[in-house]
Amino acid sequence: MTNDKPEIPPEWQEKLAQFEWRRARARELGGARRIRRAHDRGQLTIRERLAKATTSFHEIGEFATYDDVDALGNLRSQMPASYVMGLGTFAGRHVAIGGEDFTVRAGAPQTYLDRMKGGLGGFVEDLAHEYRIPLVMFMEGIGGDIAASGEKGHSYLVSSLSWGRSYELLGEVPVLAMVSGSSAGGTAGRTVLSHFSVMTKDSVFFAGGPPLVERALGKSVDKFELGGAAVATRSGAIDNLATDEDDAIEQMARFLSYLPQNVWQMPPRTPSDDPVDRPIDEILGRIPTSNRRPYKATDIITPIVDVDSFFEIGKHWGKAVTTGLARIDGIPVGIIASNPMHLGGAMDAQAAEKQIRFVDMCSTFHLPLVYFADVPGFMVGPDAERANVVRWGMRAIQSLIEAEVPVVTIQVRKAYGMAVSATSDPDGLSLRIAWPTAEWGDLPVEGGVEAGFAREIEESDDPEAYRAAINENFRNIADPWRTVEAFGVEAMIDPRDTRVMVADFLNASLHRVQTDLGPQQRQWRVRP
Amino acid sequence: MAAESLAPADGLVWKIVKKAGDTVKQGEEIVILESMKMEIPVTAEADGTITRLLVEEGQAVEEDDTIAEVE
Repeated sequence: MTNDKPEIPPEWQEKLAQFEWRRARARELGGARRIRRAHDRGQLTIRERLAKATTSFHEIGEFATYDDVDALGNLRSQMPASYVMGLGTFAGRHVAIGGEDFTVRAGAPQTYLDRMKGGLGGFVEDLAHEYRIPLVMFMEGIGGDIAASGEKGHSYLVSSLSWGRSYELLGEVPVLAMVSGSSAGGTAGRTVLSHFSVMTKDSVFFAGGPPLVERALGKSVDKFELGGAAVATRSGAIDNLATDEDDAIEQMARFLSYLPQNVWQMPPRTPSDDPVDRPIDEILGRIPTSNRRPYKATDIITPIVDVDSFFEIGKHWGKAVTTGLARIDGIPVGIIASNPMHLGGAMDAQAAEKQIRFVDMCSTFHLPLVYFADVPGFMVGPDAERANVVRWGMRAIQSLIEAEVPVVTIQVRKAYGMAVSATSDPDGLSLRIAWPTAEWGDLPVEGGVEAGFAREIEESDDPEAYRAAINENFRNIADPWRTVEAFGVEAMIDPRDTRVMVADFLNASLHRVQTDLGPQQRQWRVRP
Repeated sequence: MAAESLAPADGLVWKIVKKAGDTVKQGEEIVILESMKMEIPVTAEADGTITRLLVEEGQAVEEDDTIAEVE
């Protein structure tokens, strides 16, 4: 035995040489100059992203080519197609993974190929669909461009391209998207068709960039002002903000760790070394008993879930509710919490929209929900009405009723008005666990008495005294213990027992969850 | 570098807890806003001295307005 490589038969040498030459060319992307420009901006190329994110990668369509022609149709050069993709191992999981190559015509759709590689539909999406594996996308492109009609020799109607597969995937497998650089037009559209999206802080995302805005509206806008991370993560278009690409990749890996490969499988439970009966005495110091004092939702979530397991999603928008994934006794769960630091926890249209999207995602992937409710009602006021709070609020109620996963509600403090219906599932078990700080009703006693008995108060001999007496009467009625004694709430517990109790119910609920796998069957087909 | 304390929500300035020149520790309340019937604290972002206090009681503020600066 020697270490010499076996000799290559002469008839193979030319074939392999051509293979190597073509492969080297494919890996040059759009050329050294364009790659350098990306690096100067602090960005990776698509090949560098794929290499960094995966531990194994088998490329598909490596030799697909884009003919670079000038405005008159003369061939200037050939470049690799503007999308790189394949089968990879990401965060220890088989995934379909790919992304636009911005160095080739700014990642424009590959309508010049017989079959698209990815982006809008394409092979990478078929791979995720057929093998039922997650889809991970690096989004950097400008959508369509005028050069496409030059290649085809005719202009095409955009509606000839189908988005069907991209929508279908949302009900089948986890879809994750990272934005680094510019994501505009069709690329931006494809980005939001995901369960989790993250953008780096110096990226931009928009329907149309500054040149389009200037032409359409005569307004000159800075691209960051138009669609920087501060805009896109506050509008809800993008879920999370990342400091850089490493952080963004890490956040996608973390998100995926709570989800199954597809809707036909259970979410992966991981062994937990955090005992369910760990003392959580600090929780008492974190819930002010005065309902005028706010607290941070995350301060009461973190002691109850497994240590370091809470991963917040959508921190910068719809801030009246906090949403995120976590584990309790190793079981992946969706967490929703009213956030009294914002609008006193009142649910406005944006919070409702955020909650709906989160509940739908958790239900799709069989993640039980734990809801920490402290809601003074739907948000009121001119801004709230203009934002259509009532319709969004009623949709939030619907999504929770339709959710096909167990919902455990911790009744932290306030529960007033219709918005309370958006904190539990009355058509399911509706397990509502109250803390002694809880209070509830149609309306708070103060204000409610004023609205309900205005005339009676006015016509009494001593309106002040009469008002005080009515208030006292209704405060007695509103004592939550009366509701507990009427079994109007399922349990009242010491907050320090919450972790162990919720863990026990979640463990029991898994018998239900694992016999309810598969695509979600929506109860009602129409959202109001 | 001055550490700015921003209003976490729209609301009214309900109570001024500290005044310019006072020494504060990070996390300590400087002003309390009232918003949606809640007392929302505006806290110091760093240890130091309050160099500027930009609001007075009863004033309406908007989210992310600068309330105070600590150096």
